[in-house]
Amino acid sequence: MKHRRLRALAVGLAATVLLAACAASPSTSTPNSASTTPVEGGTLIFGDVQPVTNVQTQGAGNYSVANVVGTLLDRLTYLDPETQTLVPWIASSWESNDTATEFTFTIRDGVTFSDGTALDAAAVQQNLDLLGLGDADKKIASTAAFVGYDRSEAVDASTVKVYFSTPNSNFLYATAAVTSGLVSPSTIALDYDGQTDITQVVGSGPFTFDSQVPEQEITLVKRDDYAWPAENAENQGAAYLDKVVVKVLAEVGLRAGAVTSGQVDVARGIQPTDEQTLKDAGFQVIATHTTDLTTNFAAFRVTNPAVSDKRVRQALQIGFDRELLASTVLSDSYVPAASILPHGARGFSDLSDELAYDPDRANELLDDAGWVTNADGIREKDGVELNVALAASNQSVVFKPAFDFIAQQWRELGVVLENRAGDTTFLNSALTSDEVAFAGTRLFQYGGLGPIFSSPANLWTRSADDSLNALFAAENAAVTDEEQNEFRAQQQQKLVIDEAYALVLWDETQVQGAGSDVHITFTGGDAPQFQGAWVGE
Amino acid sequence: MLRAAPLIRYLSLRVLQAVIVVWLAYTITFVAMQFLPSDPITVMLSSDTAVDPLVIEQMKSYYGFDKPPIVQYGTQLLNLLSGNFGYSIASGQTVDERIGSVISGTLALSGLALLFATIISAVIVSVVNLSGWGTFSRWFANLPPLFSAIPTFWLGLVVLQVFSVQLRWISLFPDGSALSLVVPALVLGIPISAPIAQVYLKSIETVLAQPFVGVVRAKGGSRSWVFFRHVLKSGAGPALTVLGLTTGHLLAGSVIVETVFSRAGLGRILLDAVNTQDVAMVQGLVLLAAVVFVAINLVIDLLYPLLDPRILAEGLRSKKAGIA
Repeated sequence: MKHRRLRALAVGLAATVLLAACAASPSTSTPNSASTTPVEGGTLIFGDVQPVTNVQTQGAGNYSVANVVGTLLDRLTYLDPETQTLVPWIASSWESNDTATEFTFTIRDGVTFSDGTALDAAAVQQNLDLLGLGDADKKIASTAAFVGYDRSEAVDASTVKVYFSTPNSNFLYATAAVTSGLVSPSTIALDYDGQTDITQVVGSGPFTFDSQVPEQEITLVKRDDYAWPAENAENQGAAYLDKVVVKVLAEVGLRAGAVTSGQVDVARGIQPTDEQTLKDAGFQVIATHTTDLTTNFAAFRVTNPAVSDKRVRQALQIGFDRELLASTVLSDSYVPAASILPHGARGFSDLSDELAYDPDRANELLDDAGWVTNADGIREKDGVELNVALAASNQSVVFKPAFDFIAQQWRELGVVLENRAGDTTFLNSALTSDEVAFAGTRLFQYGGLGPIFSSPANLWTRSADDSLNALFAAENAAVTDEEQNEFRAQQQQKLVIDEAYALVLWDETQVQGAGSDVHITFTGGDAPQFQGAWVGE
Repeated sequence: MLRAAPLIRYLSLRVLQAVIVVWLAYTITFVAMQFLPSDPITVMLSSDTAVDPLVIEQMKSYYGFDKPPIVQYGTQLLNLLSGNFGYSIASGQTVDERIGSVISGTLALSGLALLFATIISAVIVSVVNLSGWGTFSRWFANLPPLFSAIPTFWLGLVVLQVFSVQLRWISLFPDGSALSLVVPALVLGIPISAPIAQVYLKSIETVLAQPFVGVVRAKGGSRSWVFFRHVLKSGAGPALTVLGLTTGHLLAGSVIVETVFSRAGLGRILLDAVNTQDVAMVQGLVLLAAVVFVAINLVIDLLYPLLDPRILAEGLRSKKAGIA
């Protein structure tokens, strides 16, 4: 009796497991032939990973928010990812003085916000004040990259002068950041509640807000009279697409399926394991080449006793094989890091030789630092094992598997790693705690590496290095690009090799799956460029 | 016969208990969040951009996070009593605004899921006890453990992979169609039906073993008449209690279902609030969940005297032990 029931149950379970297995096989579709002339009209459905609830400009540093804000608002300049030079956008030209303390922008004519008001020098001046100084009463923070900002003046209808109390030669690059979007004066006059509310924010971008289902989807419609994209944009007029719908696809296991079943045109956050499936089925896998952010890194909390000795940090830096990591755990879309800046970023310094996997040297360094291997094969000093914890967010889908690999290689050196990557709650609580030895992330670096690492209370290394800070100051005071890059090279050498403040991992990239008839490009900051995108027949 | 005095005493005691439970939930959550090393300001500002730690300190003092916990608690409690639920720092909206924008979706989903759970339990219970085929009904009695073992997450993913990605019968996203509400409600309702059905089956077994059932059958009642007229009602008590307790699982389950089915709802907001340590938001949601939970259980407790008038006479303690 009992056996029969058990058997029936087992059959039932087996059937459901088989069903799940069937469901995992990819559907095949023949790709359409690519059209080279843009097709007007249509709707593009973009699947993002989290809902957008707060569109206040300074908060647009989060990818999901940036994807929306980046198309609602324009910026003064645009950073061309290929050439790493600034291209005119809302500012048609600019100049700075010899000491990088005064900047003058000429504002393009004819730009209007979607409510009809002019985007002139006065509007720009108000925006710059908000970005540079923040607004204490409205609890809006100032932008870190605008360090040293003093004030702006609208000299006439199309000229703005910006004054800094300390040199900041990275300021021009900071105006290209998605967090430097320009909103209308009427928006600036709103309280904090209003400025975070997508239904109330007014910008000059190629798309405007149409409707939303809160926390679920946002519909944007094109602005017909848009005529002021960045100078190097292929589409110099209004967007090709009529509508863009941004939907939340939080569950990572469904993103590839959403693309293959045609329910989204583009899905962000595709896992390495799904990439081949998509390619085999004839869909596009678009891996962005990110130049506006640092590489993915895990910063050492220098005050944590396990990693306070620089030799331990250096040992861990060369204690794993980046090439092998990329070829086994990551996919072809990921390039191993050669510095804390990605390949192609301005001032990039190739340190890959010094980062090569060298377990013998790593063991030597750990021995020198006084960490002795005990009977269990784990290094020990003063009775404490070398056991470190890592926190990292889930914005990058590969952190966890990558560190599982790294943990294995470090185990051979006698170091135990507690891998808590992907646990955003743990990361958030670890931000201000020294007990967690590593915090992994990647950050926008429009303002250089200074804003990230200079403060003694910075969230990543939780300490400051005076000589490094001197290099940051020198970079900000340098007026020519060559001088700047020279200081950036020195910073990278010190940060990555000499002091090993951050474990550099792989160049940041965001992997999207897209339908074969979708034509879309991405900025150097991984934001989709909806204005130039179209969906072919 | 229901007498007024014991009923009123019963009611007031239960309401007082309810208020204390809600207050305790609120306080314990507050204390727990205080132990987390970081704070919502740091979390919100840190995202993918560098932030000046001085700015973090400034913002913290604007929002009152630099005050001692007792003061923060007291202020929040006072605000609560005047209807101010505070700010969801991560989203820039007030807590009640944010809850209000998504609550209808969750109510629809949870309500339907509860309805399905009840229907499924009723069907299981009826089939097991009334169907003529012994083997079949015994097989049906295995369903509750099976349903309980199915992880909601897995079920949702499989359903979507098969019916949406492969067969294209339903959309991955809520599109206003009936199916887009029915399917997630079923996925949520199935595991919830398990404990209800199981407890109901067991308590019916107990009732059927009682002498009065034999007497009624002897007097001429048919099997189904006895079942629907007497047994179902007498056995309902424990099942109802379990129903009340599973409303807690509804919120937990809705976090998963809403994520998998890409639906906006309280579950998703709760997840986001916990991740970003959005204290006021978490408190608001805990308060809401506690109030709903307590209210439902209160209603169920009030139904008890209707099911079995002996409860008021016997006192409050024995009802949860089952009818015996």
